[in-house]
Amino acid sequence: MIWGDSVKERLLKLQMQALAALEEVQGLEELEAWRVGYLGKKGELSSVLRAMGTLDATERPLVGQIANDVRINLEQAHKKQKEALQMVALQKREAQEKIDITLPGRMQWLGAAHPLHKVIRRIEDIFLGFGFTIAEGPEVELDYYNFEALNLPKDHPARDMQDTFYITEEILMRTHTSPVQARTLQARYPELPIRIIVPGRVYRRDDDDATHSHAFMQIEGLVVDRGVRMSDLKGMLLEFAREMFGQNQEIRLRPSFFPFTEPSAELDILCIYCGGSGCRTCKHTGFIEILGCGMVHPNVLEMQGYDARELSGFAFGMGVERIAMLMYRVEDIRQFYQNDVRLLEQFSTLAR
Amino acid sequence: MKITWNWLLEYVDVSDLTPQEVAQKMTNAGIPVEHMQRLVEGVDQVVVGEVVAVTAHPSADRLRVCTVDVGGNEHLTIVCGAQNVQAGQRVPVALVGATLPGMKIGKSTLRGVISEGMICSVAELGLDPHVFPKEQTTGIFVLPKDAPIGQDINRYLGLDDLVMELELTPNRSDCLSLRGVAYEVAALFERTVHMPMPILQTPTIAPKPLAVQVVTEKCTGYAGQVVDDLELGPSPMWMQMRLVAVGMRPINNLVDITNYVMFEWGQPLHAFDYQAIHEQQIVVRQAQAGEQLITLDGQLRTLSAEMTVIADPMRALGLAGVMGGENSEVTANTTSVVLESALFDPLQTRRTGRVLQLRSEAGLRFEKGLDASVVTAALARAADLMVQYAGGRIASAPVVTGAALQKPTGTKVAVRPARVWQLLGFHIPLDEMLNVCARLQFPAKIEEDRLVIDVPLRRPDIKIEEDMIEEFARLIGYDRIPATMIEGPLTAGKLTKDQHLRRVLSDHLISVGLQEVVTYTFISREDLNRIRVSSEDGWSQSIELLHPLSDEHHILRTTLLPSLLEVAKMNVNRRQLDLRLFELGRVYLPKQLPLTEQPEERLLLAGLLMGRRNPEHPFRSVRTFDFYDAKGLVESVLGRIGAVSKVTFERSTAPFFHPGQSADMYLEGMLCGRVGRLHFNVESAYDLADAFYFEVDVQILAHVAQDELYVAELPRFPGVLRDLALVVDRDLPVANLLQTVREVAGEDLVTISVFDVYTGKGIDAGHKSVALRLFFRSLSRTLTDEEMETTINRVLAHVNSVHGAVLRE
Ligand SMILES: [Zn+2]
Repeated sequence: MIWGDSVKERLLKLQMQALAALEEVQGLEELEAWRVGYLGKKGELSSVLRAMGTLDATERPLVGQIANDVRINLEQAHKKQKEALQMVALQKREAQEKIDITLPGRMQWLGAAHPLHKVIRRIEDIFLGFGFTIAEGPEVELDYYNFEALNLPKDHPARDMQDTFYITEEILMRTHTSPVQARTLQARYPELPIRIIVPGRVYRRDDDDATHSHAFMQIEGLVVDRGVRMSDLKGMLLEFAREMFGQNQEIRLRPSFFPFTEPSAELDILCIYCGGSGCRTCKHTGFIEILGCGMVHPNVLEMQGYDARELSGFAFGMGVERIAMLMYRVEDIRQFYQNDVRLLEQFSTLAR
Repeated sequence: MKITWNWLLEYVDVSDLTPQEVAQKMTNAGIPVEHMQRLVEGVDQVVVGEVVAVTAHPSADRLRVCTVDVGGNEHLTIVCGAQNVQAGQRVPVALVGATLPGMKIGKSTLRGVISEGMICSVAELGLDPHVFPKEQTTGIFVLPKDAPIGQDINRYLGLDDLVMELELTPNRSDCLSLRGVAYEVAALFERTVHMPMPILQTPTIAPKPLAVQVVTEKCTGYAGQVVDDLELGPSPMWMQMRLVAVGMRPINNLVDITNYVMFEWGQPLHAFDYQAIHEQQIVVRQAQAGEQLITLDGQLRTLSAEMTVIADPMRALGLAGVMGGENSEVTANTTSVVLESALFDPLQTRRTGRVLQLRSEAGLRFEKGLDASVVTAALARAADLMVQYAGGRIASAPVVTGAALQKPTGTKVAVRPARVWQLLGFHIPLDEMLNVCARLQFPAKIEEDRLVIDVPLRRPDIKIEEDMIEEFARLIGYDRIPATMIEGPLTAGKLTKDQHLRRVLSDHLISVGLQEVVTYTFISREDLNRIRVSSEDGWSQSIELLHPLSDEHHILRTTLLPSLLEVAKMNVNRRQLDLRLFELGRVYLPKQLPLTEQPEERLLLAGLLMGRRNPEHPFRSVRTFDFYDAKGLVESVLGRIGAVSKVTFERSTAPFFHPGQSADMYLEGMLCGRVGRLHFNVESAYDLADAFYFEVDVQILAHVAQDELYVAELPRFPGVLRDLALVVDRDLPVANLLQTVREVAGEDLVTISVFDVYTGKGIDAGHKSVALRLFFRSLSRTLTDEEMETTINRVLAHVNSVHGAVLRE
């Protein structure tokens, strides 16, 4: 018994000694030396265990149990210490790798769509949602489509409204996107309904100034079907105005004249500057005009073979620059064509 | 078109309403009142006075001391500097305490004499001196002898009258007269119109002969009458002031009366000197080609057969509807005139006015077409006014000729009430429609299921059912139209393939940091010269505008390059040096010149790069763009639509490129674009440096853009990398070397990349080392070292025999 007790004592003493040494260990290299010293094949624990062979067979299981416990305790302590030391080493490295996170990131250039195309796409998307398709046409147009097919025969006084760049007597720069109405009616006949939106460039012989440009963009819409009403035009434009200028928008239709619509109207929205209370921009009326519209003139339908006594349609058209000037508060229409990148780059921040 | 409030009130009584109320309603009804303001603001305590006596100023030669009667108990003493002041004149007198535009009048002492007010000139009253005859505007404003002493000048001259400027749409020519506006206002407020009712008179004594012969169909009605015993002089002040208010210059009583009646009735009139008319016979005919006439403005005009003249048997006297002739002008000696009121062809009048560049108030009205029912009324009215205000005597029976003047009647328009409701989208009771007709003074009756409306001649814009529907909506108010949504089958809103592709392309370039621009499509030949395009190049085949606005914008662009260069130049001038621009824009390519059919409009995607490749950062060396950046950008565009492997690059000969750093791109044999560094001379022409340009033809891309995808199976076996550094001739294009490698590398070769190109130490002069990384992988097995050995040897042997390439030591 004394012999057995003595082995047990040696084991417990070894454990105490080893744990105390572990406390003193500095760094992973010393830790490895400690491991070899106590837990290695030639280590202290092994040499104590070699003495076990001399024990009485009845004592062996008990002492073996103790020896095993000591090994597990030491191994666990080693693992814990190793992790702690690894963490210290990692933290040291991390401290060395510390950088100034307030320096800016390494950016790429940000691009942006041109404001006029941003507006066009927004309008296109609104009407795509209404089930429209996008139609396009040539900018170098025939007199027939630009004027005659739109109820503007040669020498019609209203041709003066749109002073025209001619190339030959019959070929001109289109003065509006409306020739696409006539082209679409002609191409689709007799298929119904027609629901199109037409963006594009147009040209007028106007001297360039803050509000006029010899080239600008229009976007117009055309709906033709059985039973199309002026109230539908009003309803659709109300939705449009709210999508573009805010859900509190109100619209107002005022009688006007276009050769290719009858009845015709101008559409006013609540002044975006004063919200309708009246200011200098809206001449204290509370409203600003944004587009022209009306019911398709029967002559326009009949010229392409449609029965204007039974069918009906509406059309509307607006200047993209005007909408963009209102939306983005651009003061001078020429800025859209000047392309100063200090203006254009601002649009890279616009999330819609 | 300008009118005045008080003038309007003469024909329609809306004096219970404010001018603002009337203007608002007119605006909402489609006759927008753009401006409304007093003829002159800020005149107060100015009255009509009579100069009783004028004496010299005791101590100033240039000043006079006037005694002025302003209707009070005492006469005023007023010092006046004007040279034209005379005793007996009636003049505007600003009393002490008066205000004039921009000044206040107090009691003052002028060189020792106390002045109790001021005698005013035209300009001091806030009127434009240029519109008045000279004799009234040099010095003080001399008023007519009958000006009532003591009357407030605002009232006397109508300075407090409101001038209303109407912005008329081209269809509403009826509102080019007070009469037309009165009918409109009457309809809006349910009032009645009171026009003067002149009756054509026939003289009983000493009639003068007048014959009228119309021998052209361009005159559909002609009414003439002789007025004799006229005394030329100024017209009454109220008439002058009304003309001034609406923008006409008072001239003399005869001319003013014709203008006044034109504004009142919308019918232009002309007065010929009766003495000038040979044989007292007026002939309305087409001019002979080359015939000459000196018009009232002193210009010698050469006429064509497409113009109508008023003539006598000997010669032309005036251009019908455009301008009178000098030979028959009313002068100070005129005592007798022929008054003309006629209908001339609108289109021809318009063309004549255009050709001779003569625009006038009369021409404007002839162009729009006139109301045949008032031709004789206007004549009678003018004759009346000449009797009343010019001492005239009606000296001939009216001569009225022309089909249009025989019982002129308007149009009948039939309206289906159901169509009204359908088109507007709401129900209008029949009674309400009839009421609108009554307000417009359009006789209407119900015939079976429709309303038949007699539209009078004064409203030529109303011809069809839809025109009447607009009238109903307009007078009931567009506000009554409800807001509904379109009915009918649902349709899918969608983009075409091309439209979608355009969005993908521009979104891609924006996402890699490019800025979209939009530029004008008109450029100049000079722009093409600047980019070194010569007359042999296709780009020089450009379409020219007939009447350009300026030399900078006279042809349609055939390339986007000049437009982008302009943008770059402007930005560089403003110290913006890092530019990454692109435009998706059309070029216009004629099929033949001069143009006989529409040109081809091709959509190009073009871009310009210059300056730094990336934003700067302390831990990145930032370099400027080079050719490979530009080419890489183009390849990324092609890659984005699955077309990069289908494109080949060949050295470009485009004149605007650096010949050593530019490439043309071919897609299935078609030239589809180009990329390169700009030619030094092009850069110099725009004060730029190191700029790179690319353009691709979007239509060609659309043919090859990939719009379907089935994923490739993922490989199950590992791949093998082999690097080869080959020494080849320095001028050998690497693309050729790669092609040669591919010929023998076998089907397991997946990619080749070039990771280094080296010249210099260790490489013989005239050679370069090209380092290739070949990646092999089989779909069916793991490749063995032995297999790879064989393949690489085969590659080396082949490149050696084709290019003389050897492995770098
Ligand atoms: Zn406002």
